[in-house]
Amino acid sequence: MLKLPNDIIVKETDIPSLGALRQKGKAAFLSLPSLKDEAFKYTPVQNVLTDEMFQPSSCCNHFKECACEKNKLDFEAHCFFFCDGTLHEHFHLTEGMEALPLSEALKNHEAAGHINKFDATKHPFAALNLACLEQGLFLRIEKTPSKPIMFFYQAKQQGLKNIYNVILLEKGVSAEIVEIFEGQNEAYFTNVVNEIFVAKDASLKHYKLQNEGLSAAHIAFNRAEVKSNGCYESYVFQKGGKLSRHELEICLLQESASAFLNAAYKIKGDTLVDTTTNIAHLKPFTTSEQTIKGVIDENARGVFQGKICVAKNAVHTKGYQLHKALLLSDGASVDVKPELEIFADDVKCSHGATCGDLSKDELFYLRSRGICENKAREMLTNAFLKTVFEDISNPNIKNLFENF
Amino acid sequence: MVQKPNIEDLSGDKYKYGFVSDIEVETAPKGLNEDIIRLISSKKDEPDWLLERRLRAYRHWLTMVEPKWAKLTYEKLNYQDLFYYAAPKQKAKPKSLDEVNPEILKTYDKLGIPLKEQEILAGVVAVDAVLDSVSVATTYRSKLKEMGIIFCSISEAVKEHPELVKKYLGLVVPYSDNFFACLNSAVFTDGSFVYIPKGVKCPMELSTYFRINAQNTGQFERTLIVAEEGSYVSYLEGCTAPMRDENQLHAAIVEIVVLKDAEVKYSTVQNWYPGDSKGKGGVYNFVTKRALCKGENAKVSWTQVETGSAVTWKYPSCILAGNNSSGEFYSVAITNNFQQADTGTKMIHLGQNTTSRIISKGISAGFSNQTYRGLVKIAKGATGARNHSQCDSLLIGRTCGSHTVPYIENENKTAVLEHEATTSKISEEQLFYCRQRGLNEEQATQLIVSGFCKEVMQKLPMEFAVEAAKLINISLEGSVG
Repeated sequence: MLKLPNDIIVKETDIPSLGALRQKGKAAFLSLPSLKDEAFKYTPVQNVLTDEMFQPSSCCNHFKECACEKNKLDFEAHCFFFCDGTLHEHFHLTEGMEALPLSEALKNHEAAGHINKFDATKHPFAALNLACLEQGLFLRIEKTPSKPIMFFYQAKQQGLKNIYNVILLEKGVSAEIVEIFEGQNEAYFTNVVNEIFVAKDASLKHYKLQNEGLSAAHIAFNRAEVKSNGCYESYVFQKGGKLSRHELEICLLQESASAFLNAAYKIKGDTLVDTTTNIAHLKPFTTSEQTIKGVIDENARGVFQGKICVAKNAVHTKGYQLHKALLLSDGASVDVKPELEIFADDVKCSHGATCGDLSKDELFYLRSRGICENKAREMLTNAFLKTVFEDISNPNIKNLFENF
Repeated sequence: MVQKPNIEDLSGDKYKYGFVSDIEVETAPKGLNEDIIRLISSKKDEPDWLLERRLRAYRHWLTMVEPKWAKLTYEKLNYQDLFYYAAPKQKAKPKSLDEVNPEILKTYDKLGIPLKEQEILAGVVAVDAVLDSVSVATTYRSKLKEMGIIFCSISEAVKEHPELVKKYLGLVVPYSDNFFACLNSAVFTDGSFVYIPKGVKCPMELSTYFRINAQNTGQFERTLIVAEEGSYVSYLEGCTAPMRDENQLHAAIVEIVVLKDAEVKYSTVQNWYPGDSKGKGGVYNFVTKRALCKGENAKVSWTQVETGSAVTWKYPSCILAGNNSSGEFYSVAITNNFQQADTGTKMIHLGQNTTSRIISKGISAGFSNQTYRGLVKIAKGATGARNHSQCDSLLIGRTCGSHTVPYIENENKTAVLEHEATTSKISEEQLFYCRQRGLNEEQATQLIVSGFCKEVMQKLPMEFAVEAAKLINISLEGSVG
């Protein structure tokens, strides 16, 4: 298994900026994180990642099958397909959007300027992603699109699916992006980075449904920079994978920028789901809200590590964070670390965390009305999670979440 | 308008315990090696088994590295540049307080602990006073002895009650526990030993005052409290040190063993010298405190008021092993100027129906930084465990920082855990309300802060509550405006 930077073979390329990024990634990758790394304290990646998962995925020819996914949708959308980590390049460019395969986009300097705006040494999987940079989408949204933008990720074979997307929202644009991850029961590793830039007055609604194969590892690093009055809103539902991690790093760069995260996970078996957030309030009048709810059954394990940082002088900041977990069986466990790091005085920040079983009173209420125990439990857990997605404004997308 | 004094003008000079007493001391040579440890051990006339333990700890310490995970930045300590033993010179062991060096008694008198008076007056507190490395006087021993309570310095306990010390020392905090605990296990010099026999409720508060006096000395005291079945004790600890430009090291261990149905209340007012207003000097306070609730229905309560020290690294913990046992942690931490505190607690639930409660109030002012770091762990077998944690922070001024890092690990579905934390500044409305009623800004702040801390202050024994309330006001003086 790949453990050290020396194990990475950097591919040759004739695009200078791509080559430079790969070298940079390799240099930033120090080693695979262990439980001694604070950021991966509860997520034993080394136990799950295997040799097969790092094999390069061969480009397969099931684009057509993938594209069928689109037909399942009962609404109109712009669709992009990633089949076993390879971007289906035959997409139609429409209404105020510039979409290019990342390697193509890198021939132009401007795109290169939007990649790796973070310290990759602190994000080993992002560094690894850079070192293997090949596949990904460069998407610039210049006008508010009339339809949601869908990203379908399909995994049918074992191996590494290394994807790096860059998404730019221009001034005043509102867009909806939906990511759907699905896969077969193969030993594969999805390593995704989404680097997102929300310009002034723009707003992005970022949805993610993750249902990877049960032997797979899924690590997603999402980073958003939000400028003044901009808004990044995210809804995440995770239930698949042997190990999955949704990491969200948000920089509220200018005044009145805001970020919202609503995440849920529902897991059983030996699944581990990790939600890690880091929200940096860098300027005054910035707001963030995070609500994360998890239902953990059988021997599954839920992990939440959330951090709110308020920089010096970022006064009038509001930061809220709440994590609630339901443990449904004796083998289930949850590890939570909600963190506040505050360097400004005029702020209102709070976090809360609770965990426990379903309420006996609520169960009794339902059972006394003639509902069997299993049904009652299901109703209560669904009701518990449902609140996370209540605020989704697009009914079609809300439907996707409710029927996921 | 009245000119408000700057932060720099005040605070640092407010440390009223900053005097140095001129007491002749006997020190071991600087530095740390096996010979020094042998010297400490022989000075204290220790049995071989204890020396063996010390050496084992020292050898293990050599293999350890200083922990870096805390949110603290301080100059690295040179462990070879410290005195590991400093004792007031005394010919023979004093039999009564009259034989104790008057200069020492004067020191404690200045600190507000009139040992002598207490021997005469019917006080309510029994005191063990520890100067630099050695326990100088313990009051009320005879009275306690009648009830079977042992309250003496640890070095006496080693001689007089070796079976108890051997059984319990290192039981809760083994030498290999952490870097500073390991160092302490190798070089600890003195501290208090408390043993409450079965069914005895200790009628008075037991108290220890720690004082670092000599220059460049590290203080490594060790406290061991054993509460037998059905007993009760309330124990107080106070600490001060002179103002010096160098940083002084204080690395202590407190171990508490609570057996079935017993209860121990441990209160600390920590007021080591915090350094001056420029952040120079001050005590490095690296303390390991842990209680083991060994029997059923055992109860431990930690209450701490932390106002001193340049750097604090302290996590009083409870291991709730007995069924139905409970642990409590009440803390007020105040940092000003360049103080740094990384403090909190660990509640480890092992037994069934164990409960724990954490209330932590942090106030940062000036350029200080404060972190609450806590762990609540529910093991698989801890059915019906219950925890409630609340951490509130108050920020005064724009240059300070306040951080909260709670860790919650739950492996049992029947456990119910709640954690809440808030951070804010003193609200304009509250200030305005007070000012309208004629208080100036500083008084208003003090009033609001004491209200903020009230929940914890109420848990302190009477004798300490008044002193602690004053201390909070002194610590915050000059931080407003």
